[in-house]
Amino acid sequence: MSEPVVTESDLAEMAGQVWVSYLDPEGVSPLVQNGEVKQLTEVHSTVSITGSWHGHLVYACSVQAATKAAAAFLAMEPDEVSQEDISDVLGELANIVGGNVKAMLPTGCFLSLPTVVLAPDTASYYPAAERISGLYGTWAGEPVSISMWQSVKQEASA
Amino acid sequence: MKILIADDSRVMRQIVTRTLRQAGFGDHDLVEAADGQQAVDMAVAEKPDLVISDWNMPEMTGIEVLRKLRAAGNNVKFGFVTSECTAEMQQAAEAAGSAFFIVKPFTAERFDEVFSPILG
Repeated sequence: MSEPVVTESDLAEMAGQVWVSYLDPEGVSPLVQNGEVKQLTEVHSTVSITGSWHGHLVYACSVQAATKAAAAFLAMEPDEVSQEDISDVLGELANIVGGNVKAMLPTGCFLSLPTVVLAPDTASYYPAAERISGLYGTWAGEPVSISMWQSVKQEASA
Repeated sequence: MKILIADDSRVMRQIVTRTLRQAGFGDHDLVEAADGQQAVDMAVAEKPDLVISDWNMPEMTGIEVLRKLRAAGNNVKFGFVTSECTAEMQQAAEAAGSAFFIVKPFTAERFDEVFSPILG
């Protein structure tokens, strides 16, 4: 099988930029990759890509990691973070990585607005799509993953 | 100067505001729009000196906002802060009269580099 259009190392580079810019500007708490595809998450967000390439980008993590991300994004303490803050930040994380991913895809792609589900990533099912790459790791010991899913039909015809 | 920040994400509007402050532009008057239509309406009503717009927004995309303003003869300085950064988008933005294109995630240094010549 040929290399996916967006590889694990591409996702790692994008995540690295997000961490440096917003989640860990001091460089003290990076995302540590562990390759644990089956690690359990509790919340997730998705952006879908249509047009010349069909698929989804999924950002998933624990509630604690989402709370920590919201606190970092919104410059507040974790105990001040509301559920709405968590949802907004999760949506923005998928949007940022999805937008960066789009730049690597063939021209003529469209990015959807994000959707957020406050349930494990296994709660969302992407019919006729399969995972083509993923970044799995922990942030301050909490699970975080970013995965790319491509339409199986499109992949077969590619 | 008055700056209009147009982004459907409350979080991103807040981050843009904070980054403007970190880059030393915190003294300007900031107003916000939460979708494309609101951005057009506020660009007309509030008469900002600068519009910092997301690309992908409900009601109207950022590029549609820019085109609509230009078609109405509004030449406000306008640019994009977006996670989407394809060459075709940058070309479309430039062709429509965009003054800058900042890709998310961004830093205060990037804001300083782009906005210093505009905001002084």
